[in-house]
Amino acid sequence: MSDDTSQESDEPKGAQPDASRRRFMMAGVGLLGTAVAGATAAPVVQLIAYPLSNDTTTGGDVLIDVGAVAQFSDKPLKVDLYADKIDAWNKATNVKIGSAWVVQRGEELIAMSTICPHLGCAIDYDEAGERFVCPCHDSYFDLDGKETEGPSPRRMDRLELVSADNLVRVRYQRFKQGTDVKEPV
Amino acid sequence: MNNLLAFIEDRTALVGLWKRFADHPVPAGPAVQGVLPALLVYLFIQQVVIGMMLALYYSPSATDAWASTVYLNDQVAAGWFLRGIHYHATSVMVVALVAYLAQLAITGMYKRPREAVWLCVLLLLAVVMGLGITGNVLPWDEQGYWAIQVELGIAEQTPGGGIIRTLVQGGSQGGNFLLTRLYVIHVFVLPGAALALLTGIVVLGRRAQRGEARVASATQPFFPSQAFINMIGMAVAAGVIVTMTMMTHGSELFAPADPSSAFQARPEWYFLPLFKLRMFFEGPLEPVATMVIPGAAVGFMVVAPFIDAKLGRVGRVLVLAGLGLMMAAIVALTALSISDDASNESLQESMKVAKEDAEKTRALAKEGVPTAGGPAVWENDPEFKVKALFKEHCATCHAIAGRGGEEAPDLTDYGSRAWLAALVRNPQEPRFFGGTKHETMDPYPVADVPDDQMQAIAEYLVQLSGAPADAALAKVGEKLVVDELDCAGCHEVEAGVEGEGPNLAGRGSQAWIARVIADPSAADLFGDEAEMPKFKAKLSEEQIQALAAYLVGLGGDS
Repeated sequence: MSDDTSQESDEPKGAQPDASRRRFMMAGVGLLGTAVAGATAAPVVQLIAYPLSNDTTTGGDVLIDVGAVAQFSDKPLKVDLYADKIDAWNKATNVKIGSAWVVQRGEELIAMSTICPHLGCAIDYDEAGERFVCPCHDSYFDLDGKETEGPSPRRMDRLELVSADNLVRVRYQRFKQGTDVKEPV
Repeated sequence: MNNLLAFIEDRTALVGLWKRFADHPVPAGPAVQGVLPALLVYLFIQQVVIGMMLALYYSPSATDAWASTVYLNDQVAAGWFLRGIHYHATSVMVVALVAYLAQLAITGMYKRPREAVWLCVLLLLAVVMGLGITGNVLPWDEQGYWAIQVELGIAEQTPGGGIIRTLVQGGSQGGNFLLTRLYVIHVFVLPGAALALLTGIVVLGRRAQRGEARVASATQPFFPSQAFINMIGMAVAAGVIVTMTMMTHGSELFAPADPSSAFQARPEWYFLPLFKLRMFFEGPLEPVATMVIPGAAVGFMVVAPFIDAKLGRVGRVLVLAGLGLMMAAIVALTALSISDDASNESLQESMKVAKEDAEKTRALAKEGVPTAGGPAVWENDPEFKVKALFKEHCATCHAIAGRGGEEAPDLTDYGSRAWLAALVRNPQEPRFFGGTKHETMDPYPVADVPDDQMQAIAEYLVQLSGAPADAALAKVGEKLVVDELDCAGCHEVEAGVEGEGPNLAGRGSQAWIARVIADPSAADLFGDEAEMPKFKAKLSEEQIQALAAYLVGLGGDS
């Protein structure tokens, strides 16, 4: 079918609705259309925004056993952290939720998150340089976790560590990235 | 404004496209009869949008499908509502398609040049039913699981059906691959096909209208007259769907798929005619109902417009009679199926159980479904938890119903009258303290304490636990225990007082059992003779109370 012939016949024939009728119908189309779309649009927005006002991933913010006091020294040791957590519909028992560097500094045994405060890569230990390094963007930290070189905006994030009855326990937390101040997520 | 429109038209041709759409000539002016194609377009778009929303919260795996659907339905804001709309809109789509088929056949409009439109509608009906079949399975609940078993069974009866089944299942059994495949079919393949068919319906329908407009005496542009009528139709349909969703509180969701259950699956209402038809053809004749008759019906519908055109009046009568007969049969079979089910007591009973299970499992799912998958949600059940606790901490020494160690008293029927009577009769039996170092308490043979007296003693002990007891009989028992048999020489009955044997005040009550579990070597309990470890450091107070409550329950009412 060629467009030319159809265009020609597209001209309305016979009696046509007057202007006010046309306006009424156009308004009707607009209003009803908005109502029909709105009936689903509102719940759709609610559904998409659900995670903004509800905790969909929880758990893991408890003190986690990481081992006996004796195994830690002034040389950093990386420990994996296992805990129960809720991930949307799942309840997972004793799963890996992250890791921490544990090191003896003077009198104090400290734990620091392995997540780089810059952009969240995993911080490694540079044994030769006796310092921590984030290999993604070359941030360096001393053994206290203080940033020495590179783009990291703050020191490594300290985690709460409790040492009692010869048992070391660490509370795992995640913090906002890229900011000067340490702020829990 | 005009400059802007000219700019847009020049760069995208969108303005011209809109004009072409809006100025499309509707022959004989706007009419309600023109509403159905627009309604189908609206329903399709809405299904796609809502489908995407549901997919945001759904995971097509055998372990996650049910859990994610329950989460979507029972936790996420508006989840149940959108899932309900998605479900009911499919039904409305089926109705709209059947109505459109009827309209095309009755008006004779399915003849040249609209045979292709007719075929597109017919195919779209099949596609929508396919969407119903596949969507029904995705929640991986009892309904979906058992329905797909039947449907795959039917597919298997066709020639080469075994291969089809293996391909759809992605293996010899339905699991992860069945869900990923049905998901792909439901989300990509069938909606893609539906889009193509809808395009065919709209474009080919308009093409036919333009032809008719050329010779018509009066025409009107599509916009706004016909568009207004269409919009009213859409609003009515939306109202119906929302009302249905509110009234049914969304779409049904049963307990997680359990291959060991006895769920009686019923198909969606638009499959009930086929479901019922199958009942009339048993054994080797079954394919007549599942393949031959439906196949013949579809074949007849495919050729209907051609018969109508070719055979003139005879053809018209033939087609309308055929289609009318088919419709009558469908309605009759549906009605029969519904009324049979309503009077089928075993089905009603099984539905009741299924709904109770659904309610229970969905409540348990609120605290998260274990990663093992849907049925593992029962692990959240307090009863399951306490049994697991018993198994872990108690069963090494104590047995219940033949499971557990023999070092300590067997707790089968613990606290029942029979258990208590047997214990007092002979505490040294292997099932009581025979396996322990406790041997202070002597047996009371029948010669000393006849059975009726022993019954009274048991009744008194039941009364001490605080459970309902026969007061008169307990009184007799009390006299025996306190005075005649001098049990009180070792067992005090005044709370807190120490004796050689455990104090009997509140013996067998939840509080008393909890104290024993927490610290059996307390001076007023088993004291130095206790071999059982203290659990107050190992278990939480809630856990101890739960175990105690569980043990109280073991005695039952006997």
